Formats: sequence, C-alpha cells, structure tokens
Amino acid sequence: MEREYLIQKWLDHSLNAEELEAFKKLEDYDALQLLNRNLQKFKAPEFDKKQSLDFITKNLKPKKHNNWNIKWIRIAAILVISIGSFWYFNKNNNTTINTLASQKTNIDLPDTSNVILNSASNLSYNEKTWYTNRKVNLDGEAFFKVAKGSSFDVKTEKGIVTVLGTQFNVKQRNDYFEVVCYQGLVGVTYMQQPQLQLKPGESFLVIDGKTIKKEIQNKLQPAWITNKSSFKSIPYKHVLSEFERQYNVRFITKGVDLKQLFTGNFTHDNFEIALKSITLPLHLTYSKKNNTITLKRE
Amino acid sequence: MIKMSQNLNNNVCNENSFNVIFNKYATDLHDFLYYKFGDHLNPKDKVQEAFIKLWQNCKKVSPNKAKSYLFTIGNNLMLNEVAHQKVVLRHKQQGTKSYTNESPEFVMQEQEYLEKLQNAIANLTEAQRVAFLLNRVEGKKFKEIAALLNISTKAVEKRIYGALKSLRTQIEEL
Repeated sequence: MEREYLIQKWLDHSLNAEELEAFKKLEDYDALQLLNRNLQKFKAPEFDKKQSLDFITKNLKPKKHNNWNIKWIRIAAILVISIGSFWYFNKNNNTTINTLASQKTNIDLPDTSNVILNSASNLSYNEKTWYTNRKVNLDGEAFFKVAKGSSFDVKTEKGIVTVLGTQFNVKQRNDYFEVVCYQGLVGVTYMQQPQLQLKPGESFLVIDGKTIKKEIQNKLQPAWITNKSSFKSIPYKHVLSEFERQYNVRFITKGVDLKQLFTGNFTHDNFEIALKSITLPLHLTYSKKNNTITLKRE
Repeated sequence: MIKMSQNLNNNVCNENSFNVIFNKYATDLHDFLYYKFGDHLNPKDKVQEAFIKLWQNCKKVSPNKAKSYLFTIGNNLMLNEVAHQKVVLRHKQQGTKSYTNESPEFVMQEQEYLEKLQNAIANLTEAQRVAFLLNRVEGKKFKEIAALLNISTKAVEKRIYGALKSLRTQIEEL
C-alpha cells in the first residue's frame, strides 16, 4: 500500500521531502529512475511558438479583410442579380449566332424564314417577340429568304433593310454596305436617308461612304452561297478583306494599290487557286508564312 | 447588464485575447497531438490550422471554450488524415559524444533498453500514452492533464498508473 502510494505521489510530482526519502528506499527506485531517464528521449520536438504565431498572424490578415469585403460582395451580388434579371425579363432574350472565319452556317428563324450566314459574321434576334416583331441584327454578310408575313427588318450598323417576303443579300463590313435584291421588293434605309426601293436584280452599294451604281444582274442567289466570292469593280482592299474572312489569313501588302478596282472571283474550296485568281490578274507575287501572306508587285 | 455586455464582447476576435490564448495553449496542443499521433502527420501544421480555424470562428467561441475547441479541431484534423495507424514515437539518437567513459556493453544495454521502451510505448493505448508522456516528459501534474483532456483527475491517475505498470511488465518480460 505504502509503495503504491509513494509511486502515485511520484507520478504526480508531489512527493514532499519526507516521502521522497522513503521513495528512494523502494527496491524498484532504480528501475523507475532508469525508465524515467529514458522516457525523456521521447520528448516531443521543440514547438517554435514565435514562428508559428507569425505564420498564423500572416494567414489571419486576409481573413479580416474578407469579413469587411463580404458585405460589399453581398451588395454587389444583389445588384448584379437584380440588374441581370431586369435586363433579362425586360429587354433581351436574344439568340445570337456567330460564324468564325472560313465558316458558314444556315439558320432557320422561328417562322420558315431562312438565313445563310457568311464567314466572320454575327446575327442575333429575339425569339420571344419574333411573331410580333420580325427583326434581326446583322454584323457581316447574310443571304435571307424571308417567309411571307409582316414586315421583316435587318438592322445593321449602317442601315436598315425592310422587306415583305423575298430573297436578298445584305453585306455590311467596314466601310462597305451592300444590299442585293433577288426576289420581291426590298426597302433600304441608309444613314437616315429616305427609303430606297430595290426590285429583283437591283442592288444598293456604298463603299467608303460613296454610293455606287450597279447594273442589274439576274442571278438567283449571291455567289458566296455556292462557295465563291464574286466581285465587279470593287476596290481591291475589300477583296482582300473578304479573302481573309474566307480563309482565316492576314495580308501584308507592299506597294500594292488597294484602291484599284477588281473584277473577278475566287473559290472558297481551294486556297492555292483562290489566291492565284486574285493575284495573277494584278501581276502580284505572294509568299506565305503561317497565316500571313505578303503581296508584292512583280 | 454589465455582465451581459461583457459576455457579448467575450470572444477571441481581438488580437490581444487571441495571442493570450495562443501563448497559453499552443505548446500543450502541439505536445498532445504529438504524443497521440506521432510526428508523421506534422502536429505543428495542425496547431497552426486549428488556431486559424479558431480565428475564423472567433465570434462563436468564448475564451473559456477556446481550449476544448482547439483540442477538438486539432484532433479532428489529425483524424481526417489518418485511418488509424499504429503510432510509434521515435526516441532521439544517443548524443554522439566524441569520447565516452562508458563501456561498450553499457552502451549496448542502453540501446537495447531504449528499443524495448519504444515498443512498449507503442503498445500502450492512445489514452494511456498521451496522459503518461505529458506527465513524465512534459512534467505535468494529474490535475493539469485532466484540465487539458477534459477528464477527471481520477481517470488521469488511472491512465498514468496503468501505463507505468504496462511499460514495466513489458520491459521486464522481454
């Protein structure tokens, strides 16, 4: 009993002087001391308080900021959601179709109207209000076959084209705006000018702000629908732009007159032949590196 | 009223009280985790993580709950990482003295004893090992350990005494 009591007290580090003497006289005192001495070798590695606190404090700072920020993030989130839903429900439910360079696509509008979208173009319309308001926004070039019905508007940066059920092509590129009527009657409103009426075969063309008269042509659809780009007295600059869109390349020109008029066409299916057909007539040489083509006078 | 308002502000959200708590418990928490789980799961990292968690939840933890909060978090962080492995605490290598008066046999015996002790410690229950080493190596009294582990002094006494007995029988047996 006495022995166990002393060991308990020893364990609890609470032996008094008298008890310590008695403890030392125990027969297993040596064994306990040996054990105790060796146990010290299992001590936990030193814990570096200062270093740890530094680490923690460093990691706390941003948290404090966050606490403050969260309020603002919440406010911002509410604003975004409310503005977003306001915008969504009130204004826009637009369907947007994009084509990349050297890509064409065929779009069926909610009625039986059909649009073929040329390369690097963008078309959007509102599906919800389609039947009360047939309106599409166009940036680029597209050929429309419009189903009979109420008026149909094509809105571009340069002008509005209004029709009643017809086939026509609209091309709106930088400094280039062209409407060609293939069937029916097309109204063109260009830059606030009074509306102009186009009959089948007639076209309306503005290049660099200048209206250009074109003779009547009797084709059924634009050439690009059949993978060909066709030009008649068009500044060379616009021919190159069209080529860039169809083949996804860039031109660099050296000593080439970009204003000279070009008549001819190039195919969308064969790069080499297409490139030849726009360079040979003008006696230009070309060299190609990656996606960049350099044109030079011979 | 005064008491209530004190209570409301009574959390560890200000840096001062946080530091006080850190200084009071960090080492104990580290040692506790070390003796319980060994060092291969890096107890130091867990201590830091636990304190970061305490800070993030500082509004919910009053200072007198901070200790058990920290120990629970530290413990859980460890448990998350380990599907119970047997914990073997390694002893430090004998100091490599350039000279020694001790006979080679003595050195051998010491080495042998240490190996036995290491095995014996590994065979203790987790509860015994933690309480016993905090007591023997960190020099903590029963009462202090009881407070750290949130158990009664009697239970601590039992664990430590049990551990001592177990170690001694194992060492003598071998």
